[in-house]
Amino acid sequence: MEIKINTQDSLTTAQLIGRLDTPASQEVSGDFDNLAQYAAGTIVLDCTELEYISSSGLRLFLSLRKAAASKGGKVIVKAINKDIRSVFMMTGFLNLFEIQD
Amino acid sequence: MKKARLLDPHCEAILQEYQDNLPRFREVEQEVKDKLRQTLADAGLLVAAIESRVKGYDSLAGKLELKGHKYKSLADLTDILGLRVITFYIDDVDKVASAVERLFDIDWENTVDKRKIHEIDSFGYLSLHYICSVPGFPYRFEIQMRTLLQHAWANMDHDTGYKSGVEIPKRYLRNMSRLAGMLELVDDEFSKIRIELTDYRRRVQALVRSGNLDEVSIDGDTFRSYLELEPFNQLNKRIAAMNQAEIQEVPLMPYLAVFKALGFKTLGDISNLIKDYSEGAYQIACYQIGLTDLDIISSSIGPQDLCIAYILKMGGGKAGIKYMFDQLNGESESNDLMAEMLLEQSKDLPFMKK
Repeated sequence: MEIKINTQDSLTTAQLIGRLDTPASQEVSGDFDNLAQYAAGTIVLDCTELEYISSSGLRLFLSLRKAAASKGGKVIVKAINKDIRSVFMMTGFLNLFEIQD
Repeated sequence: MKKARLLDPHCEAILQEYQDNLPRFREVEQEVKDKLRQTLADAGLLVAAIESRVKGYDSLAGKLELKGHKYKSLADLTDILGLRVITFYIDDVDKVASAVERLFDIDWENTVDKRKIHEIDSFGYLSLHYICSVPGFPYRFEIQMRTLLQHAWANMDHDTGYKSGVEIPKRYLRNMSRLAGMLELVDDEFSKIRIELTDYRRRVQALVRSGNLDEVSIDGDTFRSYLELEPFNQLNKRIAAMNQAEIQEVPLMPYLAVFKALGFKTLGDISNLIKDYSEGAYQIACYQIGLTDLDIISSSIGPQDLCIAYILKMGGGKAGIKYMFDQLNGESESNDLMAEMLLEQSKDLPFMKK
């Protein structure tokens, strides 16, 4: 699992590459903490190359969204594949995030 | 830029005293403003603005030039520091006033309720002015309290020179008075609407609490009150128990649009949905997450799966589910894919065959 973070003014893009399963979530939780520093602006989680998400991955997304809500920023989840979209739907989190195709 | 003025030594002394104390005036300005802001916020009183200013050098010099003989010392001038609280509603002016009375010492002798000194046939400058002081600061200051509309009138009034003492033709004065009267009426009407709305909300909450849901039509207020009863809790907990999942609370207000789109008219309709479709919703959730290790769900899972079960059972099909997702997430092609998936998953579930 790899995360590439790129910040430009108030827009931060994080490219998520690989499988965000439970071990990977622990591995990248530091990266998500770093991302939370930019939560006052817009954070785009680019999921073009994200293959899978587990509950632990969902929790990382949620805590980032909480940080953004408290700082007046927003999190956009971009280009999730069909399986990940259905995980969001099955757990009821689909309408919590702004999702871009 | 200070303008060159010819002032007598008495006025010069007052000006000097002003300059010596200017930093302290600025400090008190901030302290008073912070205190006011905090107290109003603690009381949940939303105001349009809290403004403040310390009188400028030229403005004071000009005033002294005109009527300096009236003041023995700087302490006789009560408007060096001035604050203004602008409220949205007329009845909030009195609430702000009572907060000001609690926070500061009021010089009642010099305090004027301009709202009360009007002649019976005149309208216009309706505003409440308090002359206040705080311990440890020898100068008094003024706090004005008025509504947004009074503020608008006062500013227009200033601009037209109504108070400048210059003779203005009577027909203009009459027009200004008519406008002021109208604004006063508008302020009263806004207040009435707020009182009626508060009353309406209380009645609705009472109806919701007493369980007379069929009598309560669905709108933003009633739906919010209904959500306070946590009507989807039981279903959410049942779904969560499947995977020992934690339930993350999320806003459920977006479902108002969905329930309306489904043609629900009263809270009773939602209550019936929960009664009649919880089993179907549970079966959908079982099918979807029962065989996964997902151990976190959102509190919107209940209403979401209830709506899906209802739409499918009523024959709304793929288009109906897509429409629901469009309402919740905005229109998207992916909503179509999900609707198709749901249709496929649900067709063999027991509730669909009943």
